[in-house]
Amino acid sequence: MTMWLPLLGLLLGISLGLLTDLQIPQIYSNYLSIAVLAALDTLFGGIRAHLQQIYDDKVFISGFFFNIALAAGLAFLGVHLGVDLYLAAVFAFGVRLFQNIAVIRRILLTKWSDRSKVSETKVQE
Amino acid sequence: MKKAINWKFTIVLLLIGFMIAVQYNTMEHPKERDTRDIWAIRQELAEEKKIHSELLTEIRDLDRTISSYRTLSESSTGQALKDTVDKLHKKAGTTDISGPGFTIEVRPSVESVAYGIPITSISSDLLTRFVNEVNRFKGIHMEVDGKRYTMMSSIRVINGATTVNGLNVSTPPFTIKIISPTMSDSEKLYNYLLASSIHDDFYLDNLVLEIHQPERDITIRGYPDKFKNLYLKELPKGE
Repeated sequence: MTMWLPLLGLLLGISLGLLTDLQIPQIYSNYLSIAVLAALDTLFGGIRAHLQQIYDDKVFISGFFFNIALAAGLAFLGVHLGVDLYLAAVFAFGVRLFQNIAVIRRILLTKWSDRSKVSETKVQE
Repeated sequence: MKKAINWKFTIVLLLIGFMIAVQYNTMEHPKERDTRDIWAIRQELAEEKKIHSELLTEIRDLDRTISSYRTLSESSTGQALKDTVDKLHKKAGTTDISGPGFTIEVRPSVESVAYGIPITSISSDLLTRFVNEVNRFKGIHMEVDGKRYTMMSSIRVINGATTVNGLNVSTPPFTIKIISPTMSDSEKLYNYLLASSIHDDFYLDNLVLEIHQPERDITIRGYPDKFKNLYLKELPKGE
């Protein structure tokens, strides 16, 4: 039941964004896209930590804002130095995103197989 | 503890959702900036005003037709209808017409004759360009090498030869006749064409335009074929 609350938040955020019809100037869309990537990375990192029972509030919240700021700052620096530094952020976050999702999948799989084993043993008893 | 986590997750997800939606908005509908300056806007305004005045003129014309129908007695309704049909025929270009206008002679340029460059037929692009140039002026009637140019006319290349209404345009020299509503309109068009850059376009094709002075009475032929009526149908009587 409590799983639904974050999902509701996501839907609410998306609908809020779509309904307000807010647009940012084209030149800043790079920053926003990288910020979205950073946010997603932090989110999946948080979920993974939660599943591994090492979740910490401060790490999660600070990571969320710090990663976004870092990614945007890197992109900004890249634009002014003439090096596509945002690609570094895209690469780093992309790799971490995949890793986190893989870990989450493994944890869920182990949990699921454990549960089915338990039910099997129950049946045998 | 669990609840606190959920709340924070919810807020973070709300932020993420919002960011994704804004990014989506930005990517899907890039805002088009209005970069027109005051003169561009004024020009557009002037064009709209011109259309406005043209529409008003048309409305006045139609009003006159309606009032002429009203004032005519029952017996002469037929005459009024006949007048309208004649007017429409004239407008469509099926009748011979005479009025103030001028002729233009298209000739090979002196240089091309001197160098012995072979004279080819006028290109369809150039003829289309010329017709567009002349059509800036309203209410004119045109004849290209004896072929009446109407709204339905086409300039095409058929088997390598430039044609108007499907008939070949002869190799230069040939004449183009243009009739305007009034003598002053004719003079205006004459002066416009004298100063027009269309001469340069013709000269590139080794042709020159010799524009003659406007005359009081020029006659051009009507469009010989019947127009095909594809869309209008006659209603049965009594309905």
